[in-house]
Amino acid sequence: MIVCVAVVGHQNNPLYLQSFTEADDALKLHHVVHCSLDVIDERVNNPKRNAPALNETFLGLLYPTENYKVYGYLTNTKVKFIMVTTDLDVKDADARNFFRKFHAAYVDAVSNPFHVPGKKIASRSFGARVSTIVKSFGSGTTA
Amino acid sequence: MEDYPEELRTPPLSLVSIVGCPELHPSISAALSSQQPPMNLLALPDFSKASILARTAKARDPLAPPQPPAGILKKDWLLKHRTRVPAAVAAMFRADQVSGDPAQWLQACSDLENLKSVIQGSSTKLVVILVQAQAGDELSEDVTIALRKRAEIDSKHLVVLVERDEAEWTKSLNKLTSVFTELCTTYYKDEGRRIKARIEKRNFSSVELSIRYCFKVAVYAEFRRDWPEALKFYEEGIRVLREMIGTSTRLPPTQRLVEVKAVAEQFHFKISTILLHGGKVVEAIAWFRKHIRSYERVVGSPEVAFLHWEWFSKQFLVFGELIETTSATVPDTLSPRFGTADNALTEWEFQPAYYYQLAANYLREKRYAIECSSSSENLTEGVNGLPESVMPSVYVGQYVRLFEQGDTVAVLPLSDTEYTSYALSEAERFQDSYEIIALFRKAYESFQSLGATRMASACSGGMAIEYYAAGDFSNAKQLFDGVAGLYRQEGWTTLLWENLGYLRECARKLNSLKDFISYSLEMAALPLFSGSGQGNSENKSKNGPAGSPTISSRESIHQEVVNILEGKHTSEISDDGFNVHLMEESTQLDIDQISPLRIVLVASVAFHDQSVKPGSPMLVSVSLQSHLPCPVMLDKLEVQFNQSDCNFVIDSEQEDYSTTNPHVHDEAVQTTSLTLFTDKWMRLTHEVKPGQSGKLECLVVKATISKRLVVCCQAESPVSMEEFPLWKFEDQVEALPMKDNVLAFSGQKLIQVEEPDAQVDLVLDSTGPALVGELFTVPVTIVSKGHVVHSGELKINLVDAKGGGLLMSPREAEESESHHVELLGVSAETMENGSKEEVDNIRKIQHSFGVVSVPTLCAGDSWSCKLEIKWHQAKSVMIYVSLGYSLDSTEETAVHRLNVHRSLQIEGKIPMIVGHQFLRPFRREPLLLSRIRSSSDDDKKSSLALNESNMLIVSARNCTEVPLRLHTMTIEPSDDGKQLCSVQQISGISNKYAVIAPSEEYKGIFSVNPRTINSNFCLGEICLSWSRDILVESQDNRVIMKERLPEVQIEEPPLVVTMECPPYAILGIPFTFHVKVYNSTSLLQEIKYSLVDSQNFVFSGAHNHAASILPKTEHIISHKLVPLGSGSQQLPRITVTSVRYSAASSPSTSAATVFVYPSEPKFNLEKGYSATDACVS
Repeated sequence: MIVCVAVVGHQNNPLYLQSFTEADDALKLHHVVHCSLDVIDERVNNPKRNAPALNETFLGLLYPTENYKVYGYLTNTKVKFIMVTTDLDVKDADARNFFRKFHAAYVDAVSNPFHVPGKKIASRSFGARVSTIVKSFGSGTTA
Repeated sequence: MEDYPEELRTPPLSLVSIVGCPELHPSISAALSSQQPPMNLLALPDFSKASILARTAKARDPLAPPQPPAGILKKDWLLKHRTRVPAAVAAMFRADQVSGDPAQWLQACSDLENLKSVIQGSSTKLVVILVQAQAGDELSEDVTIALRKRAEIDSKHLVVLVERDEAEWTKSLNKLTSVFTELCTTYYKDEGRRIKARIEKRNFSSVELSIRYCFKVAVYAEFRRDWPEALKFYEEGIRVLREMIGTSTRLPPTQRLVEVKAVAEQFHFKISTILLHGGKVVEAIAWFRKHIRSYERVVGSPEVAFLHWEWFSKQFLVFGELIETTSATVPDTLSPRFGTADNALTEWEFQPAYYYQLAANYLREKRYAIECSSSSENLTEGVNGLPESVMPSVYVGQYVRLFEQGDTVAVLPLSDTEYTSYALSEAERFQDSYEIIALFRKAYESFQSLGATRMASACSGGMAIEYYAAGDFSNAKQLFDGVAGLYRQEGWTTLLWENLGYLRECARKLNSLKDFISYSLEMAALPLFSGSGQGNSENKSKNGPAGSPTISSRESIHQEVVNILEGKHTSEISDDGFNVHLMEESTQLDIDQISPLRIVLVASVAFHDQSVKPGSPMLVSVSLQSHLPCPVMLDKLEVQFNQSDCNFVIDSEQEDYSTTNPHVHDEAVQTTSLTLFTDKWMRLTHEVKPGQSGKLECLVVKATISKRLVVCCQAESPVSMEEFPLWKFEDQVEALPMKDNVLAFSGQKLIQVEEPDAQVDLVLDSTGPALVGELFTVPVTIVSKGHVVHSGELKINLVDAKGGGLLMSPREAEESESHHVELLGVSAETMENGSKEEVDNIRKIQHSFGVVSVPTLCAGDSWSCKLEIKWHQAKSVMIYVSLGYSLDSTEETAVHRLNVHRSLQIEGKIPMIVGHQFLRPFRREPLLLSRIRSSSDDDKKSSLALNESNMLIVSARNCTEVPLRLHTMTIEPSDDGKQLCSVQQISGISNKYAVIAPSEEYKGIFSVNPRTINSNFCLGEICLSWSRDILVESQDNRVIMKERLPEVQIEEPPLVVTMECPPYAILGIPFTFHVKVYNSTSLLQEIKYSLVDSQNFVFSGAHNHAASILPKTEHIISHKLVPLGSGSQQLPRITVTSVRYSAASSPSTSAATVFVYPSEPKFNLEKGYSATDACVS
């Protein structure tokens, strides 16, 4: 189950962060997402390690922490997507698929002429779409 | 890791024992421990101690049914096998003990028997060592055989040690160690095989035994260094153990879980150690993940959850320590693409810090769990008290109660309730906070060095929370402050909210009102994260003391601050004992451009103009904005500039200040409504009048809120205003600080105040063009029209008007200091005598530059001076005069100097052009040979005849536009010329002076009579003395002007022709006309002459004739003439030709003219003089 998704901007500032848990651990998820930026920095700024995957947007598992696993994705405009899940076994393909759909939703949201780049995403339809994508995660559907 | 027993932490070493001959034990022990792998030696000095090798025989009835085991692992089993159960025992005898004395032999035999009986029942091997002094010592065959038989051992297990011989000793010792090694291997293999057989045959009654067997097999394998087998059985054991949780019923559930985890911990530790020491980092991490995953949900009942978290935390801590001590690195073979299918691990899992951080997190979890358990325990307290004398049992992870009744001591099992309260009381005795802090600090330092600042901040935050929990608020505040910086920078408002919540409480606890207010205001002004929903604010342990960030909590925080400031005690605050009495004085918050409090209040100040004159009014706009959730009422707004005269105060109109505070100072006070609405700019425009010139900058805007809080906000220019931190990411429309778009984008908070208009007039007068040579004066007048002139200074600068700057030609500049135009001096005309000295204070005059100090002038006074300038050449010159002065004589104002500049162009003109002309005397023609010979025109040198009076006419033409007075005109002969030539003025200035009107000419006539022959004779200089034709005349004004006459040639004429003729003739009356030719040579001169007829005259005499003239004599040619017509008549033209010199001379027309009166005139003799005079001119 995905417990949190986040969009992080160029200044490592959160543009969108939504948690999907009943429990009151939103703050903890903020911490988890924030700390994962260190791993993204490490992976992105280490060209030696990243050489074979120049155009790879999917960053993979960033780190496991407590009972969460954090996955990352970096768009070609250097906007970071972060997903936190509690699933023990996440298939790479599932994670990639999720990010692909999430990226599409993000692109649609920022293509809104009323959206100012670099500002938080407050669109409700984006939120609704993200919820749908999150719910469909891991169910095997490729809708 | 340190609290694990030694035997668990280190790999087991084979153990052998030797008995007897204690003096040799050290060297044998050293030899064994230097083996690879080393062996431990259990050395017993004599055979009486051998009994400790005996097994603690279990008094088990062999017929009784097998008892179910009371636990999984016995605590001391491993220790026992490492220290007390040797794989082999060696009995040491000296050679002389067994040969010779039969009593000794018997003793040896009985010792051996004893030893045999001790190790009977176990598979410990027996070795006999015979110690010989020297290799050569014969040891009888019988003795060794007898000994072997007694001991029942193979011959190879009887080792002979040779004591005295070094080489033999080493050799025999080597043999002994190899025997021991072999026996150990066999022993541990046999033991292992024995237990393994039980597992394979499933020959055990319970799961516990199965696990125990696995452990034993693995340990025996470790003894043999058979790591793969050890690993295999440890893994098998832990697998069975995990399955056991749900099935075993031997112990009550809580204690069962505790035991299982304790055992699992040992197993896991062993596995991790083996893997890591084998360099299998990846496998170790994978194993750790599996281990964690299989136990993370086995929390047990909520009352003992703390036990789980403590255990869980320990797993992370130990694994982190293991990784740190083995200094595990990422293997090269691993795919660099962490976290993907290629490589499931992530970078941080190779870092000990990652484990420390999680260990700290879980330990904190434990702390929360204890808090929960304690509170629930308190409710049930009294029902059953703390059980006494609880102690760890012999089994790993079990606790029992020691029960004493009289002399008998019984060990009783515990119930879960008893155990729980025991564990809780034990746990409460420890302060976990400091351990958590230590873990976080370790992780923090490590992450910091890895460059993972966010992770480090999270650790730092964790430390801070622990300090907070432990009541160390100043440490907590310091750490929180550090962390808040990062969150502010990256805009993580939710995290910042939590942090500030803690900081606020820290400030409250530390009784720091200012901090409390500033943190509170910052919190209240934080933008909310859209995603953060309506969290359950009950759970303060997770969200911090501030609860979850919502609009209502922002508002309540804001309101709380207002209440405190207004002195209204809310119940919450007085409960906490916040010392509001500190509040007697007002609190000041400073907000600068980098302050996080900019979101609370920002002031943008812009002047409407770019520059302004001092004293003239201009508008300045002050805009304020706040992100606080509720409207803010400002009591007073104070705007301060760097020129304090401009400061002004705006009072809120709600407040009645007239009674309380009549403003004594001159600051402008204005009242208006001052209420700041959320996110809206409050724009105020005010008029200021700058007093001084220079920079006028708005420094701060001080807003007084609720009377006691002064927010001191650094003014910002709209043009350079930064975006609001945190709010810049919000998706909202941003209003401009100024209504005027131009001001909003380019307004400045500083303005240049121009210098005030100098109220002093500087007048430069000039009387037309200057004349070369004269001392030209330019009057300069300084008239004060309102300003008092202090320490004035007049600077004069002469510059060539055509450019080029310097008023001298480069060549001249090198040679001399002569300037074309020179400033000679400045003469001051002062009315007051007292100020005269002042004038002289500064007086520096150079050729083209001068500085003169000006006396202090009161308003309305004037001062003037004259610049004396002399032109040496006709040049056009710009005179720049600048007056610098200050309004006051004090030091500060001396910096502010006012300057007045004037310039004037003055033309320099040559006053007169002087010319000259040489003439011969009337009707007298000396023959000058040089004139005949010089054919070319180049030689323009005039020739003068020797001893003749030559005429020199000097003309002076006034080329100016003003009349000039000519005072004198003289020829100053050169030094030698005085004797050689006499110059006489024939006509000159008759009166004191002659006035020459513009473009008129004055002529002076001189007669020059040279007395020597000289081809280059210097006559001297023409000397003119002139002045302007002005009424006031003084000697000083006269200018001497000199012009050098060219050199002349003086020669002796060989012939001089003189024509003599009466001054006039009368019609019809004859007169004689002579031409005298004087031969001054010593030669006979032949001349010819001819006379041309004239129609007005009849004459007698030859028309043509020739004559010879003797040396130094004169020949006279005479003709008698009768005029025929009256008037000015031309005489018959006579031409005299010298044959020798081929030179002809005929008189000029004027010389050959005579006036003929019709009749005898009647002359008035007195007037006759002027007639001749007129004739000459």
